[in-house]
Amino acid sequence: MMKETHSFQYDALVIGGGIAGLQSALDLADQGFKVAVVEKDATIGGTMIRLSKVFPTLDCASCITTPKMAAASHNDNIDLFTYCQVNSLTRSDGTLKASITQKPRYVDPDKCIGCRQCEYQCPVYVKDEEQGGFSLRKAVYIPFSNAIPQLALIDVQHCSLCGMCAKVCPTEAIDYFQQPEQFVIEAKTAILATGFKLTPIDQKKEYGAGQVANVISSLQMERLLAPHGPYQRVIRPSDGKEPDSIAYVQCAGSRDLSLGVPYCSRVCCMYAIKQAMLLSGALPLADITIYYMDIRAFGKGYEQFFQNAKAMGIEFVKAKVGKIEQGENQNVLLRIEEQEGDGRVVRREHDLVVLSLGMVPDWNPAGICPVTTDTDAFIKCVQPKLAPTLTEMEGVFVAGVAAGPKDIVDTIAEAGAAAMEASNYLNTLSSGQAA
Amino acid sequence: MSSNQDKKPTGGQEKVGIYICHCGGNISDHVDVKKLAENVKDLEGVEVVHTNTFMCSDPGQELIQKDIKDGKINRVVVASCAPALHELTFRGAIKRAGMNPYLYEHANIREQVSWVHHGDQATEKATGLVAAAVAKARRLKPLEPIRVEARRHATVVGAGVAGLRAAYDLARRGLEVALVEKSPFLGGRTARLGRLVPSGEQAGEVISRIAGLVMTSDKISIYPCTEVTAFEGFVGNFKLTLRRKPPEEAECRAQLKKAREAGVGKGEFLPGAGVLTPNLPDREEEISLETGAVVMATGFKPYTPREGEYGYLQTDRVITLPEFVELLAKYPDRRGGFLQVKGKQIRSVAFIHCVGSRQIPGIHEPGQDGNLNEYCSRTCCAATLQAAVQVRKAFPRTRVFDFYRDIRTYGRGQEEFYEEASRQRVTFFRFEPEEPPVVQVSAGGKYPLQVSVKDTLTFGEQLDVPVDLVVLATGMMPTPIKEMVELMKLPVGADGFLQEVHPKLRPVEVANTGILLAGTCQAPMDVGEACNAAQAASAKATSLLARGYVELDPFVAKVDPEKCSGTGLCKEACPIEGAISLKERQLDGKTVVQAEITPALCTGCGICVAVCPSRALDINGWTLEQYEAMVDAIVAA
Amino acid sequence: MGKPDKEAMKALRQQRKAYIDRAKQEIKKQRKLIKAIKGQIREEAKTVPRIAAATKLPSDQVLLFIAAMRKYGQVIEVDKDGDYFTYKLSAEA
Ligand SMILES: Cc1cc2nc3c(=O)[nH]c(=O)nc-3n(C[C@H](O)[C@H](O)[C@H](O)COP(=O)(O)OP(=O)(O)OC[C@H]3O[C@@H](n4cnc5c(N)ncnc54)[C@H](O)[C@@H]3O)c2cc1C
Ligand SMILES: Cc1cc2nc3c(=O)[nH]c(=O)nc-3n(C[C@H](O)[C@H](O)[C@H](O)COP(=O)(O)OP(=O)(O)OC[C@H]3O[C@@H](n4cnc5c(N)ncnc54)[C@H](O)[C@@H]3O)c2cc1C
Ligand code: SF4
Ligand code: SF4
Repeated sequence: MMKETHSFQYDALVIGGGIAGLQSALDLADQGFKVAVVEKDATIGGTMIRLSKVFPTLDCASCITTPKMAAASHNDNIDLFTYCQVNSLTRSDGTLKASITQKPRYVDPDKCIGCRQCEYQCPVYVKDEEQGGFSLRKAVYIPFSNAIPQLALIDVQHCSLCGMCAKVCPTEAIDYFQQPEQFVIEAKTAILATGFKLTPIDQKKEYGAGQVANVISSLQMERLLAPHGPYQRVIRPSDGKEPDSIAYVQCAGSRDLSLGVPYCSRVCCMYAIKQAMLLSGALPLADITIYYMDIRAFGKGYEQFFQNAKAMGIEFVKAKVGKIEQGENQNVLLRIEEQEGDGRVVRREHDLVVLSLGMVPDWNPAGICPVTTDTDAFIKCVQPKLAPTLTEMEGVFVAGVAAGPKDIVDTIAEAGAAAMEASNYLNTLSSGQAA
Repeated sequence: MSSNQDKKPTGGQEKVGIYICHCGGNISDHVDVKKLAENVKDLEGVEVVHTNTFMCSDPGQELIQKDIKDGKINRVVVASCAPALHELTFRGAIKRAGMNPYLYEHANIREQVSWVHHGDQATEKATGLVAAAVAKARRLKPLEPIRVEARRHATVVGAGVAGLRAAYDLARRGLEVALVEKSPFLGGRTARLGRLVPSGEQAGEVISRIAGLVMTSDKISIYPCTEVTAFEGFVGNFKLTLRRKPPEEAECRAQLKKAREAGVGKGEFLPGAGVLTPNLPDREEEISLETGAVVMATGFKPYTPREGEYGYLQTDRVITLPEFVELLAKYPDRRGGFLQVKGKQIRSVAFIHCVGSRQIPGIHEPGQDGNLNEYCSRTCCAATLQAAVQVRKAFPRTRVFDFYRDIRTYGRGQEEFYEEASRQRVTFFRFEPEEPPVVQVSAGGKYPLQVSVKDTLTFGEQLDVPVDLVVLATGMMPTPIKEMVELMKLPVGADGFLQEVHPKLRPVEVANTGILLAGTCQAPMDVGEACNAAQAASAKATSLLARGYVELDPFVAKVDPEKCSGTGLCKEACPIEGAISLKERQLDGKTVVQAEITPALCTGCGICVAVCPSRALDINGWTLEQYEAMVDAIVAA
Repeated sequence: MGKPDKEAMKALRQQRKAYIDRAKQEIKKQRKLIKAIKGQIREEAKTVPRIAAATKLPSDQVLLFIAAMRKYGQVIEVDKDGDYFTYKLSAEA
């Protein structure tokens, strides 16, 4: 529609609207800088807004994330660009230029009031990834109740173009003809906060390659435990049974050279313990077992959290899970090589099994931005000790899981550090210009 | 208890909106939110009641804003989590809707209700708390934050890597910085390390680099051999007294002597000590300093094992990891033969993890202060493995044994050390805390020491390992700063480290505004993590001070000149120097003496209110009238 | 968006034909499935395995649609029967 590409000017560009990106944007905005946050999803919030409760404080994730999301969206110094793809980020004439494509929502953002009339009336059901695939949404939908912005979007791949949403929308916001928009964001400094995704659940043949019923990922379990989860309680996805026996398989996807993830994903021990605690609250009668190699509860208050979990009766078994198969009655059968006790290979059956999958980067800068990645595929830090947020590119910093697995506490500290580096960079630029 | 039951809030124009949060299920699982809404909707002055899954979310905040903009309400009551979490969130929302943000009252129905009560009782108590909040809200007056000038100056206490990092960043952002260090050296504990895990950088180079930047900055004044002896004031305007004196401590003097002998001059790095500061004091003196913010970076001290703990102090062949690392740093590149320690040839060495960390009540003995270090010290696993690998590589003939509970090589590039250690044939043994390894001096054997363990990796086999040296991977404890904790009223956690407000919402701030945390005074961290924390703290300090003024909450005492008879009892009772003064005023042509409040100093504690015989004092936002109305409402509910 | 231009809509339908055809197929299948489930729980609350047995649908599919129908207010959870919960059509549906 637009021939000429718009260009917007900011002091700082933040790529990724997860907790890392939001925190650094807020820290920069507080110092008076103008910030653009570019997010590829239809909502900001990243992984954290999709979690249930968070260790070590067991605050509900929403209670911490939503206010930060709201603070960013209301801050006069911050503009949010959601549903955007970064095509390139390069420096020329001292300015960083990001070429951006905003994907069409097929909904006019100025008109949509987030009433969800369209969603209720749409006839097509689609698997809801926001609920771990355990529930359905419609072809036109708002991602979830505390998404920001609260704007509907149409998933054209599943849309039958029946016209129902356009008919029921009270503000005539539906626009089937919307086109992608191209624009350029210019900034003096940038922070990469592109986060992570989990290793694929079907990656490991020995673990049933994603085909065994009632073997779920840790993020799926977060949804089962979340206040607005798919079932609003913990039941297993194959048939709705309330599980009596739940097991965690640790390092499923990490510390495993054969999967190309030799490193430790650093948060899975703690989130498994957290989920186990939440489960024993939700299902007081259930047996919960964690099969692990080492328990890595290293952060402030984490060891105490682990010891509490032990005291609550959660069973920790040092063992390698060799194989996962379907048992009877949709149960899950584990073949376990115990590392302690008498070291036999034993088989144990559980109603529901959670794979503590590893973290891999969500973004590869190759071909988009001249920063390189390290052997672990996360963005390379050039001064990991003194200035962990520095990348190879001048004026471009990195924060959060984009620079290697870490929990929320460490992510937030690093986001503050990246904001400090970025503001210092801006400062030297302006004093340089003045001189 | 109250005599003002009939006292109507001014004018009866107050229209209260109540906003009740489910908090996901945190509240609504125990409090019947619907019933609660029903219970409070007919209270006097209540215009609207709304409930929402997450009141703090955007749609939740918009509910409030819409009612304000539509003119439906002019007082807000939010019933949700503890105000510490989201009071500011809601004040912000109210302000954006164009209303005075102090016409807002918070009822904590999560921490005070749903997390501690269940069933009908919970709903009942919630009703009481909301009713009290409504009663108070109707009596709230608009308030303005107290704006005070802020000095564009920050003080950093401690010149370890965290303190150096913070000082440099603050200076780069244009603040004047005082860097206070109690020793004559810059670099703290990092200066005593060799190669750093996982990057392999030399600690000496890292410290020299950042210390160099600090020493050449014209905005940073370094105060070596200095400690803080007095502290007063408030954010933007703290007053510090520093005492600087020539180094006396034996360790310091020994290090200074070493520096002289080695020809290490000012601004140069002395291994095992740090960068010698340029301006050593030659006489004792006191210095006063006015500063806007204080960054605490006082770091850690290694745990000292008890006598007899794994044979410590019973033989000089049991040493700690910090000692060993310092030793190893001296000859990093030597290859071949055996490692030598204290003149002895080390054919085999045992490392024992978690010494003084991860202590469990009932299993471990508390320290002298009666406390257990229940936390994991986070850095020792990787540091141990790096030392183990270094020994194996530099001295292939020295055998290495490693006794652990869990190997916690969590960080980027750390797991590689674990793998490398296995490749280098470090032998691992795993023990349970209930059955730790036992170190014995073996009389007359081929080896002076024997480590016995029930090894859970070999299915509980009892194993005896003969060694020449045992290295204890001692954990971190906070540097003892009792005086400063008392002076500055710093919050300390159960683990002894300084305590942040909230690990995710305000991770580098303590409850006292203007005091920030950087590095291992807060919790165990490695160098990279300490630098991240230091930069996060600098970012906070900058946003506090950059504008040149700070805004303080207006919840301070105020004097009613009609009633004050100038008894001065309040001034005597007030715990804060200078918060109340007695001033002469002209009243109806007569000179009277009356109390005057310095708002920026007043902490709103209310002691003066309690002692005033003529009820001339009140705390803004927490008046006696409001309290009484709250109590009445609770009784009535 | 005002009244969509007929010609333009036609062109768009042509362009998205593959998606639209698939979506239409889906709608048909989903309607049948939902109807079958609804038929089972109109009068009586039932567990997922019971609905699955009666409709000969896979139990995970049944649970998926029960979850979705609950989300959109058509189904409510009623009681517990052994290890399973029972579901019924809501008054609105
Ligand atoms: C199952 C599970 C449970 C957990 N539980 C806890 C817990 O209890 N406590 C805790 O402290 N931590 C927990 N964590 C860890 C926590 O999720 C992370 O620490 C945190 O989410 C990291 O935040 P981030 O912003 O770095 O990354 P993310 O949350 O991944 O956010 C990155 C954002 O960037 C966006 N993005 C990516 N690429 C691009 C691009 N090219 N352009 C634009 N945008 C892009 C993404 O869409 C996303 O919104 C858990 C993790 C998992 C998997
Ligand atoms: C054996 C061992 C090996 C380690 N190996 C590694 C490694 O390989 N890689 C890595 O990244 N990390 C390693 N670490 C961790 C690293 O030492 C710390 O992360 C780092 O030293 C923390 O720096 P800091 O500034 O927080 O504290 P510190 O280094 O403790 O500095 C604190 C400073 O504050 C000063 N101070 C204290 N009290 C006062 C006071 N009242 N007034 C004024 N000044 C005061 C002290 O004199 C000191 O200079 C290791 C730690 C140990 C124990
Ligand atoms: S955090 Fe725990 S589960 Fe995750 S990879 Fe590391 S050791 Fe394995
Ligand atoms: S880091 Fe390792 S050695 Fe240190 S306390 Fe933690 S588990 Fe023990």
